Amino acid sequence: MTGGRRVRGRTAAALVAVTLAACAQGAEAGHNHTAIDESLSAPIGAPPDASLDAPPDASIGAPPDASIGAPPDASLGAPLGAPPDAPLGAPPDASLVASGAGVGEPDVAFGGPQGNIPQFIAECAFSHSNRDDPIVFPGQPGVAHLHAFFGAVQADAVSTAASLLASDTLCDQQLDHSSYWAPALIDHGEVIQPDKVTAYYRPGPGVEPTTVMPYPLGLKMIAGAVHDGPRPSTNVASWTCGVSPRNDPTPPDCPPDKGLRMIVTFPDCWDGTNLDSPDHRSHVIYSAGGNCPSTHSVAVPQLTTTLAYPITGTGHELSLSSGGIDTLHVDFFNAWDVNKLRTEVESCLHREVVCGVTSTKT
Amino acid sequence: MRRLPTMVAVVFGLVATATACSDDKVVTVVGEAPVGASVAALDNVFQTLGASFRVGEEVIFANGGRNDHNILPSNGDTSWGVAKDDFTPGDEYRHTFTEPGTYEFYCSIHGTDKVGMIGTVTVEGEPSGTATTQAASATQPAVVVTQPAVDPGVDGILDVPGEVATIQAAVDAAKPGDLVLIAPGIYHEAVNVTTDNLTIRGVDRNKVVLDGEFKLDNGVRVLGAKGVAVENLTAMNYTANGFFFTKAVGYRGSYLTAYRNGDYGVYGFDSVKGQIEHVYAAGSPDAGVYIGGCYPCDAVIDDVISEHNGLGYSGTNSGGNLLIVNSTFRNNRAGIVPNSGSYEPCYPERETTIVGNLVYSNNQGDTAAIDVALLAMGNGILSAGGVRNVIDRNLVYDHDKSGIGLVPFLEEDPNDSAPPVDTWDTPCDTFREQTPVKPDGAVLWDSQQTTVTGNVLSDNRVADLLVASAGADPSTFGHCFADNTFSTSFPLKLEVLAPCGGTGTGSWKDGEYDILGWLGEEHPPSVDYKTAKLPELADQPNMPDAATAAAHPATDVPFAVDLAAIKVPTKPAV
Repeated sequence: MTGGRRVRGRTAAALVAVTLAACAQGAEAGHNHTAIDESLSAPIGAPPDASLDAPPDASIGAPPDASIGAPPDASLGAPLGAPPDAPLGAPPDASLVASGAGVGEPDVAFGGPQGNIPQFIAECAFSHSNRDDPIVFPGQPGVAHLHAFFGAVQADAVSTAASLLASDTLCDQQLDHSSYWAPALIDHGEVIQPDKVTAYYRPGPGVEPTTVMPYPLGLKMIAGAVHDGPRPSTNVASWTCGVSPRNDPTPPDCPPDKGLRMIVTFPDCWDGTNLDSPDHRSHVIYSAGGNCPSTHSVAVPQLTTTLAYPITGTGHELSLSSGGIDTLHVDFFNAWDVNKLRTEVESCLHREVVCGVTSTKT
Repeated sequence: MRRLPTMVAVVFGLVATATACSDDKVVTVVGEAPVGASVAALDNVFQTLGASFRVGEEVIFANGGRNDHNILPSNGDTSWGVAKDDFTPGDEYRHTFTEPGTYEFYCSIHGTDKVGMIGTVTVEGEPSGTATTQAASATQPAVVVTQPAVDPGVDGILDVPGEVATIQAAVDAAKPGDLVLIAPGIYHEAVNVTTDNLTIRGVDRNKVVLDGEFKLDNGVRVLGAKGVAVENLTAMNYTANGFFFTKAVGYRGSYLTAYRNGDYGVYGFDSVKGQIEHVYAAGSPDAGVYIGGCYPCDAVIDDVISEHNGLGYSGTNSGGNLLIVNSTFRNNRAGIVPNSGSYEPCYPERETTIVGNLVYSNNQGDTAAIDVALLAMGNGILSAGGVRNVIDRNLVYDHDKSGIGLVPFLEEDPNDSAPPVDTWDTPCDTFREQTPVKPDGAVLWDSQQTTVTGNVLSDNRVADLLVASAGADPSTFGHCFADNTFSTSFPLKLEVLAPCGGTGTGSWKDGEYDILGWLGEEHPPSVDYKTAKLPELADQPNMPDAATAAAHPATDVPFAVDLAAIKVPTKPAV
């Protein structure tokens, strides 16, 4: 039995009861239904609909180019009470300065056999590189360090949720138009073109799966190292070879058939209001002990990204365009088709089923 | 009327009650039936209550269903109608028709202007009489509801697209025990099934085609539902799987065609009590047919043809009353390849019974293929780290490597060690409660305690029969070989070394085979599954009486198999 089913059952009973009452009193059915409708669509334990469901419709259906030239995030309607983004002209990576809030780590790094816990997956090929950063420097092309973009093919400084939704995607899951990006990996001074990102979406460790809600459309997150910070915990960011259950703090030497991968896990508790925050981190936080704190009470899927590079063997001298190899981090800008993401969260996570594994893939 | 008489009574009861408390034929009803999946049956149909309406009378459309709907005039008129966002469950839309006529409309989410969720309002010429009447009708509204006049599930059968426009809408509306019956057509849908005991059936296997167009993920995906049967249709061009059963308890796929799908043709994962039969699967880079991550699986694969896949059959960490019988695996990279590995739960693979299959020419270098398929290429039946399997009375020929090979599976970065023999009967449910302990270094999963009897093998060019080790003493593996018709084996004289019953004699060193050599071999690389060369999709046999047979949920599977009656297949004519 799942949460989803309980909702439906309760809804049905309520509707019958109210209908009968409406008739008996000669009341207008519509009024009653207004009330029912609200209780209907509010998921159990979730915050009010407004904060849950995607940003205002206007921005979703907007033509892709509507926001180009607009101030950062204008198309998203200044996300639900959030303060403005980092001011124009801020020094590169200013946003990566640790803020305290949002910094943390999952209770455990994902490990063990794949298929032990519910998940759904998207595999998104490398798309392009540029010096844009739709989260940290929206509207400012060319001012970021070099980034490698995966997923949506139209991802740049002026990207909005609407423009990503309208973009083609290189994800095998064609309804995932999200953009995933990371600093470029550099070997002996040469930029390495990555192959793909594999995105695993799971309930956070110990989090009740039926409480996990879909990300709001347009949610922006950064996970991993903060600028000038220490190397993140291997629960947050680590390295491995191929689809292997390792979480090495530094890049290992990988065998020929299992190239190097960077693993970064994102926070899984959202504040229920802001699609972004001034430091781009404090609107989301990691769950602890299976719970989301009251400040970030909305459980969302815990996204783990693994970025695959054609790096095998020994003798590499690796760094990242953001600095040393320990500055590893990944950015995520959610532009899943809203209905599809909800279906996957409800069908796979709420029902606690495995909707795909990658353990036989390379 | 077979099912849900209670629900029907309640619905009609609501109508009667509402009618009784209104003044005339203009009726206020927005009803929902009680509890669970039965509610869904009320969606996706418009019902007009009251005989007809008069010019000037307000007609109220009410969404009494569970889903969003819209109302679009079928003639393209834009002067009335309501969009989805303004017609969510519980919403009303009101319109006063000023001209007499017959107004046809439909919901574009659940139908087209011709089929599915369509409705009609008849407006007669005489204006309504008194102000009193008009006022009454304004306050006692709701003339059209999304409540079925003829419930498409009321007879237990939901016709697609006749009664319900899409397969998904029918599945969502269906109640446990219902039959979703699909008419010929091409359906661009990825169908998710979460309702127990449904039968989802195409009227014609070759003409009911689910086409993912390389955009949609799974043709039919059964998610944690019990007793779902999928019958007599085709799924092609999906990015993941044609048919996917995950965490299903009781599942059946019969008379299915899976063609050119991006992972598996028919894929059972973490599912038990299953039947996969009369299936044709071609063009997947992983397996045409797969059952994995279950023990005991209690499942039967019977009368399958699997060709031009990376693997004909694959099953990781599955077994326990798992039968693969009377099937054909040909022209794949490799034929039948069960394997063990701690990269997925419920290891080891064990107790798979492979009987009476026709396995030939699995050397196909132009298929899409995952890495394991490349590694296993050229083998007919290859147990890679499987234990306690039974391989009996199969016809196996024309392979570059082995006809039947029992070989180790090397896991370089394991999550866990190979479990000791006394834990091999641990049920999967128990296994999942245990915490793996990651060992240092690689793990070799040796194939052990496998019975190979009565098979007929020829022209397998490394060896008809093969046992290989990567360091362990193969004499301790406990395999047995008897009554096979074969000409070559590695080690030599396998039936003497490892007889079934009695003690073997001879040296395992004679004809010892270097299996590690396979790791470094080059193979033709994988081909994009979207463009890989495949045999043209030929018509496949239909299930009998598809249009008329009753619903048959998967509550009685697996079907019994008379193993003793199975004979070695005969070689097909070239």
